[in-house]
Amino acid sequence: MISCRNLTRRYGDFTAVDNLNLEVDRGAICVFLGPNGAGKSTTVKMLTGLLPPTSGSVEVCGLDAAANPRELKRRIGVLPEDLGLFDDLTVEEHLLLTGAVYGLSREETHRRTTQLLHALSLEHGRHTFAASCSHGMRKKTSFAMALLPNPQVLFLDEPFEAVDPVTSKIMRDLLQAASRRGVTIFLTAHILSVAEEIASQIVMIRKGKIVWNSPAGELPQSLEAHYFDLVESPVVEELEWLGSPPS
Amino acid sequence: MARLAAILKALWRAFQRSEKSIASLAGNNFFLVAVLFLGKAGSFLFLIIGLVILFPLSTDPLRKIPPSRLGLWPLEKREQVLLRAISPWINPMTWAIVALALWAARGSVTIGLWAMAAGIVAAGFAVSELPLPKGAAMWRRMPHFPGPLDQLIRKNLREMLTTLDFYCALLLSLATALYRLFGPPLPAEAFMAMTVLVTIALSSYAQCLFGLDGDGGWSRYGVLPLSGWRILAAKDVAFLLVVAVLTAPLAPLTGMGAGLMALAMGRRTSVLDPRPQTRWRFSAGASPMYGIGQVILMAFAASSIFLTSWLIIFPCVVFWAGSLWWYGQKLEESAR
Repeated sequence: MISCRNLTRRYGDFTAVDNLNLEVDRGAICVFLGPNGAGKSTTVKMLTGLLPPTSGSVEVCGLDAAANPRELKRRIGVLPEDLGLFDDLTVEEHLLLTGAVYGLSREETHRRTTQLLHALSLEHGRHTFAASCSHGMRKKTSFAMALLPNPQVLFLDEPFEAVDPVTSKIMRDLLQAASRRGVTIFLTAHILSVAEEIASQIVMIRKGKIVWNSPAGELPQSLEAHYFDLVESPVVEELEWLGSPPS
Repeated sequence: MARLAAILKALWRAFQRSEKSIASLAGNNFFLVAVLFLGKAGSFLFLIIGLVILFPLSTDPLRKIPPSRLGLWPLEKREQVLLRAISPWINPMTWAIVALALWAARGSVTIGLWAMAAGIVAAGFAVSELPLPKGAAMWRRMPHFPGPLDQLIRKNLREMLTTLDFYCALLLSLATALYRLFGPPLPAEAFMAMTVLVTIALSSYAQCLFGLDGDGGWSRYGVLPLSGWRILAAKDVAFLLVVAVLTAPLAPLTGMGAGLMALAMGRRTSVLDPRPQTRWRFSAGASPMYGIGQVILMAFAASSIFLTSWLIIFPCVVFWAGSLWWYGQKLEESAR
């Protein structure tokens, strides 16, 4: 469902993504891990047709992402890094906009909107403008927008960050149900425990290069230990002034 | 005071980094036109002084500090007041405009006028501290429009109604309409002139149509399966709707011609050089020279329609439609 061949993106002399090769099957939940600045968001942008690659090719849903970006956008759902919300629309209006733009009938849009608002506990805030929403509400709204058109592939950039535990559980359940019905999910994450729970495929990236790609069950050790070994180990620095009396 | 000095120093550095040339200093078309009339002084001076003071706030350097960060710093109330009062003067445009105003009003400034100016200064600075809504909560109710762009048009209307440009144009439109109803008869050309002035007050907004969408809105446009011209059309419908309503009591067709030209000319900076805007401020367009070009084209179209033939509206529509198509493609490229 997702296929990358020698995918590369350069910004001047800096190579953000370097010769990335990746295959994700239909119905898989692929978790893409890496430190900040490793190239995760750049990869997602190229996979969703938002950024043309410098070289290499991307195929999603059988479409060349660089050549058919608009057709691709009709078939995928995206939760962007910055959530992609308009301050001047309410939570509900964002969902109504999505249904109308993706060509759903008015009735179907309202039906799905009502269900998503209920499923994500957004009913009480449906008339709240995005500018006045908490970060968690904004993330849930953007997540609901990604699901509403019933996409073939979901791209989610850090969906579990800054959401409460109950919402996180609801989101995980929804994603696992979607995956069982054949929706392919590609998500980036920093919360390794959540990644370990839902992933069927684990990909790790470091400095633009893939350093690990396997089914989730084939990890040789815990995800956290493996991540620290391959990607980045925590730095331990003693800050002797921290907690000392003010001078 | 050391804290205040450190913050002002950081502000100065941030301001210098983002405003590297005189061309990048924000320009508001209505302000530019007001400056042209500055030498005429008279009763109009009151309005001009108001704009002179409000305009620098449209490029308020204090905006560069996120409010959440400002709220966390351990500043005394006195330091906060001083920061509010001093920070606009980091903007060299503030100094230039005040010097220009003083020069233009030389010899005719009375104590009463100074008192009025001081009041407007105080009010102008207070605007930044008012608890105005972040979004357009006060414009919750909006009409619906047919088609898939409904919510985008409603959003765009809400955005436009949270700029001072709209309220300035509304004031001009209402004042002229009331004068028309209750005052002595005016020559027909006066309505054309006021129509042009109303559209000029709105025209800087046409240079920054995406200014209030923010980063999130911009990335959403990239994700939506919409062609660029349709995204622009949703912006234009909202803009032209406001123009139509505000010029309805004046010279509506003339206003529409000027509005179409404002959009066609403003498209380049809106799409290729999008500038973030702040709510409850005047829109800050591109360079003053660009604004003057936009105003000249608007005035030319409006006067041609009013004085020659209403058929001139058709070339205006063609010009506007051409810019919609061309920059629609550019928008798709830049949103990717």
